[in-house]
Amino acid sequence: MGVLANKGEKVKVRVRVNGVWYERYVSPRMLLVDFLRDELGLTGTKVGCDTTTCGACTVIMNGRSVKSCTVLAVQANGADILTIEGLAQDSKLHPIQQAFMDNFALQCGYCTPGMIMQTYFLLKENPNPTEEEIRDGLHGNICRCTGYQNIINAVKDAAGRMRS
Amino acid sequence: MLKVYLFIQYKYYKHVYPPDFAYYIPNSIYEAVDFLGRYDNARPLAGGQSLLPMLKLRLLNVDYIVDLNPLKELDYVSLNKDYMEIGALTRYYEVLKSSIVNEKLPLLSMVIRKVGDMQVRNMGTIAGSLANADPASDTCAVTLVFDADIVTTSSSGNRVIKARDFFKGPFTTALAKDEIVTAIRYPILEGYKFNFVKVVRRAGDYPLVSVAVAVKLKDGVIEDLRLGYAGVSQTPYRPFEVEKSFIGKSLKDSIEDIVSKVVEGVNPPSDTRGSSSYRKEVMRNVTRKALREVMG
Amino acid sequence: MTYIGQSVKRLYDEKFVTGKSTYVDDISIPALYTAFVRSPYAHARIKKIDVTDALKVPGVVAVFTAKDINPMLRGGVRPWTTYLNLQSFRYVERKAFPEDKVRYVGEPVAMVLAVDKYSARDGVDKVTVDYEPLQPVLTMDEALKNQVIIHEELKTNIAYDIPLKAGDVDKAFKEADKVIPVEAINERLIPNPMEPRGIVARYEGGNLTVWYSTQVPHYMRSEFARIFGLHESKIRVIMPDVGGAFGSKVNLLAEELAVIGASIRLGRPVRWTATRSEEMLASNARHNEFRGEVAVKNDGKILGIRGKLVLDFGAYVTITGGVQSAIIPMMITGPYDIRNAEVESIAVYTNTPPITMYRGASRPEATFIIERIVSTVADELGLDDVTIRERNLATQLPYTNPFGIRYDSGDYVGLLKKAVEKLGYYDLKKWAEEERKKGHIVGVGMAYYVEIASFGPWEYAEIRVDENGDVLVLTGTTPHGQGSDTGLAQIVADALQIDISKVRVVWGDTDQVPMSMGTYGSRSITIGGSAALIAANKVLEDMKKVAAQIWNADVQEVQYSNGVFTHRADPNKKLTWDEVARAAYSKHEPGIKESAIYESDVTSPYGVHVAVVEIDENSGIARVLEYRAYDDIGQVINPALAEGQIHGGAMQAVGQALYEQAVITESGALGVTYADYFIPTMVEAPKYVSVFADTPHFSPYPTKSKGVGEAALIVGPAVIVRAVEDAVKARFNRTPIKPEEILNALKLKK
Repeated sequence: MGVLANKGEKVKVRVRVNGVWYERYVSPRMLLVDFLRDELGLTGTKVGCDTTTCGACTVIMNGRSVKSCTVLAVQANGADILTIEGLAQDSKLHPIQQAFMDNFALQCGYCTPGMIMQTYFLLKENPNPTEEEIRDGLHGNICRCTGYQNIINAVKDAAGRMRS
Repeated sequence: MLKVYLFIQYKYYKHVYPPDFAYYIPNSIYEAVDFLGRYDNARPLAGGQSLLPMLKLRLLNVDYIVDLNPLKELDYVSLNKDYMEIGALTRYYEVLKSSIVNEKLPLLSMVIRKVGDMQVRNMGTIAGSLANADPASDTCAVTLVFDADIVTTSSSGNRVIKARDFFKGPFTTALAKDEIVTAIRYPILEGYKFNFVKVVRRAGDYPLVSVAVAVKLKDGVIEDLRLGYAGVSQTPYRPFEVEKSFIGKSLKDSIEDIVSKVVEGVNPPSDTRGSSSYRKEVMRNVTRKALREVMG
Repeated sequence: MTYIGQSVKRLYDEKFVTGKSTYVDDISIPALYTAFVRSPYAHARIKKIDVTDALKVPGVVAVFTAKDINPMLRGGVRPWTTYLNLQSFRYVERKAFPEDKVRYVGEPVAMVLAVDKYSARDGVDKVTVDYEPLQPVLTMDEALKNQVIIHEELKTNIAYDIPLKAGDVDKAFKEADKVIPVEAINERLIPNPMEPRGIVARYEGGNLTVWYSTQVPHYMRSEFARIFGLHESKIRVIMPDVGGAFGSKVNLLAEELAVIGASIRLGRPVRWTATRSEEMLASNARHNEFRGEVAVKNDGKILGIRGKLVLDFGAYVTITGGVQSAIIPMMITGPYDIRNAEVESIAVYTNTPPITMYRGASRPEATFIIERIVSTVADELGLDDVTIRERNLATQLPYTNPFGIRYDSGDYVGLLKKAVEKLGYYDLKKWAEEERKKGHIVGVGMAYYVEIASFGPWEYAEIRVDENGDVLVLTGTTPHGQGSDTGLAQIVADALQIDISKVRVVWGDTDQVPMSMGTYGSRSITIGGSAALIAANKVLEDMKKVAAQIWNADVQEVQYSNGVFTHRADPNKKLTWDEVARAAYSKHEPGIKESAIYESDVTSPYGVHVAVVEIDENSGIARVLEYRAYDDIGQVINPALAEGQIHGGAMQAVGQALYEQAVITESGALGVTYADYFIPTMVEAPKYVSVFADTPHFSPYPTKSKGVGEAALIVGPAVIVRAVEDAVKARFNRTPIKPEEILNALKLKK
């Protein structure tokens, strides 16, 4: 028989985040983003909207970008997750992070973690995207400050750095 | 991604956290449908890209979530003699990655490449979109163009529902309480030309109007014509009678007639994206554009 | 000068790209979570609130309503006393919760406090409120009729009604060759910073600490003191990282008063972070209509303007809602030499979410009105957009407009000519003409603006040099994305001739920075930078005095260049910056610290922007392909940061002109999600070109800069609307222009 957790009961979730295994008991309704922020204290991932539109909460789950506000924590059981906090290696910034800084691709910084994680996925899928492909790949991430041009430049720059 | 219906939503807009629900992980498809049959207010969860936004806004009254995600046997794409079968848990991402889908079902690829955004496609599934039956869903509309076989499982066994019999109303399908979609079989349309035109107010939004077209021509004469619309009606819309009435006619000479006839049977919704009459106008325009482009 | 004028990289980006930024919701503190019970009615009497069942929900700690919180308050939200005269407005100070009736859909009537955010929402579902629905007033026209009164105490729905008149308007209209009717309407917008606002309040031992997503920590400290009857010395307001604001976070919400009240009452930290829906309710903007007429000569000379401006305040006065009603009329003649003008400005209450300011606050509306006027006159007289402006622009700078606003410096006609050339305006026009012949629906539009920026009355800065020679700049401005913190560091590093890596800029904590106004109105670099520059100059004098002391010399004998102090008469005497700093802390000296206030009024950036639009013939959906800007913003401190402001403002202008509209339904409910409100994405973003005047006209501020934060949203809507008009060859006087209107206009042309 399958496993049933009744209302009010918690379910064990075991998940590897940025290389570390965590085990928590959570309510099945808990969203992955709240799990990351409130249970694990990884507040780098942000919440920007209620409707799966803005992409501020984008993380990489099992190699693919997802909006962590639209995934239940229990759905991530057993998953391998990468958040913005796990991108820099040994305090060396990832080329995407460096490119965002070098191209003035952020202003208030709130959309930045999601924007960077989505860029990470986009460049994994397509290491040399055209401008149109960048726009198509990142339109699920809303920025209210930059007008996007510097973000597009940063993505191109990062792609170049990662290829070389 | 969610299409929010303003009037329902206002009562609830304070929430972005789902209500408490019980959570069931089945070991098999049978256990899943058995559970759905035995408990009220139980909903299956696949990619969750429509269900979770609705739960977050508490638009749905759900007491039980049956998580289908552990049922890995539903994650596949397989090519059969004259149809392609796509498992219910195959993500949009995987469908788009599949070279056989791109080769054999170019229209499907064309349409789902524009579903939501990349993140949503990484989680979302075709089966989930069909079961959600949003009248503005391009996935539903294109499935109707194929008149695909929707394979379902319930406590009483498997059955196949034709897409044309599947959509019963906004967010309403032919699925029984204890029935889930397990696969979709898309017929391989050989010798057809395809097109897809989608008008969105903003990237990633549901369409104002979209049209998916499959047309089979012989020397410019229509042998088969299929038009699937999203955003214009209570359900994904195919003007079957209109399609039929043009068989045997020259496409080139019929375009304007088709354009004026397709809108006759619909009464599109009015919302922030545009009024009903505007949607009709756009419907005519995209039909014309799609058909002209098909002719090359 | 080594840093000013350079695109120095932003100094504090690393925390943002590594996920270590700390916005209010990221603060870790054992606080109760708040969720609000909100009204489903636009206008209704509250008969009874039953919280019994909510208190039974696991995790719920308390449920408070008006009777619990309002008695703690000695006052409520009122207009911004820094800029607005309270006597100009009819208003009731808004408390935490309404006591008698609700006045808009979404108004909070109760708060649920719980140990986590999920159970707080569960509690909300269990609060039952009995309402007696009343007739709502949803439009400005309805409000003006005064048939249903929203605030009975005021006996009217009219919140503000002040006519402005200058020159001899009657004579101007008598002498006119032509009188042309004009209309300019901005629909309701929602600023929508990406970080929804939030607050954490902690009250312990008589001390209140508030972590607050705000632009104005000191102003809020004094508001909290006034409203809660506390000494300001007992209140600390901390602005953590703030994820954008655009004016909307100079805004004190009823919800926030409730959170502070609850924390005082419970003696526990309490937090609330707005959901996106709540953020969208918290701050609406624009929504005003100008209708009038303009007196012109046949050669295009505009003699006079008269008309009526009606503005929506929503259900309650906010801190900044009144800015629009007061300032729009004063800027209505724009950069043009029009001496006769008469505007009646009337603001009304409606049963809709309250209105606040939004990037540009009044200058976008004024610019939209005057640029609609000028372009309409051009069309009616058969003149082109450049000629009509050339004939009317003010030529003698400084220029005082008919309502007394002084534009300090510039060459308006010269810039017009330069901009048209540098932005390739006529080439674009020609290109569009050719494209249209091929059947592509494209258009090119331009508009001119002058604005007032760097609002006074003053700003504070303090500079400390530590014993290692490192420099701490405390600024009263409150950067929240603009990067002006980096600009301030550039100004200070240049003034002190030290490496910028030695400089750190801090802001936003009322216990750290003694006094401040904040960041808004394109003021940080110019007025904040000027205060910092003055403080830096004082610091340098102090450092010279220390060097002089060491050498037993007169301070006049000390020279300083690039980090090295030398003795004028004795070239062998040399001291480095760091050595002098260390000396300043020896012998029981208290080190070096200087502060400065810079007082001023406003300065006036100006420029010309151009947009290229393309329209889909099937849907009427317009897309801005290119947005080009030519601005005289005085001395440019950091070109890349300044361009960033143009890009971001232009994107919001695209939103205002073509996409964004806050929809109020027939029942008075606001569309409160990103599924209803179309914030442009990367796909809708144009390509930008931002050029700054090669021979800028400086402001009288010590930084010589003028301010660039709002320019593109001030002029952009007028630019884009003009481009759509060029493409469609029809008139549009309202933002946003909807695809449906464009398609209808195209059909009419056929």
